[in-house]
Amino acid sequence: MGAVFRVLLYLYPQRHRELLGAEMQAVFEEGAREHRLLGPSQYLRFVLLELGGLVLHAAIAQFAHATHRGYLENQVRGTLAPPQNLPDEVIEAQNRVAVSVNQLLFAISHHQFNQARFYKNEERKARENLRQMQEKYGIGDPQPLP
Amino acid sequence: MRHVAQRPAIEHFKPLTEPVLLILMSLAAQPRHGYALIKDIEALSRHRVRLSTGTLYGALRRLLDEGWIERFEQEDTSRDKQAYRLTSEGRRQLELELDRFRELSRAGFARLRLGEA
Repeated sequence: MGAVFRVLLYLYPQRHRELLGAEMQAVFEEGAREHRLLGPSQYLRFVLLELGGLVLHAAIAQFAHATHRGYLENQVRGTLAPPQNLPDEVIEAQNRVAVSVNQLLFAISHHQFNQARFYKNEERKARENLRQMQEKYGIGDPQPLP
Repeated sequence: MRHVAQRPAIEHFKPLTEPVLLILMSLAAQPRHGYALIKDIEALSRHRVRLSTGTLYGALRRLLDEGWIERFEQEDTSRDKQAYRLTSEGRRQLELELDRFRELSRAGFARLRLGEA
């Protein structure tokens, strides 16, 4: 059953698989070992829930991955190289900056100043992370994000 | 001297989903790896919730992205058995959510008492 699980992991976006795939496989196998001892019906129930859950969450992860990119493209269109030319880590870092800026603007426009301070701090961390990613991949200074 | 009771500022964050809340609660006590999280959450919820691997890692991925948890570097931990721990931001978010529950249950019990009176 481990082989089926391994194949189904390919339904996830590549970045997710690289980051968490090995751990997921290990956790599934540990659970399978435990449930095999509880009898065939418990084991079957476990396998069905696990495989069903995996397919469902892979679909959610793919959707999040796709909208992540789409969202980012809307946020930074014309100010950066097209996302498909950049490593996933850089795209994620850019997206985090864009999301933080949006949350900050939303909080300010709704007079939620405690939250605005929090998101300002998040934005600062996100920009620092983006700078590190750009350094890591040797990407030149892009135009500033909004 | 005038004494002013200090109330914690109520911040309006989105309520957490149950798996996320349970993961944060589990990690509040100590760092854990994936399977230990599943077992602890099962015990924490009195066997009502057993997270599937997909649910667990979907939530962990979101929490890592948000910076609420981090991978815990341990020399004897292999790549397929990473441990996770709460960040200070994750702890803050958990406290906010538990405060929200406390306020909600206080209001709920007050309404019950009103109904009984």
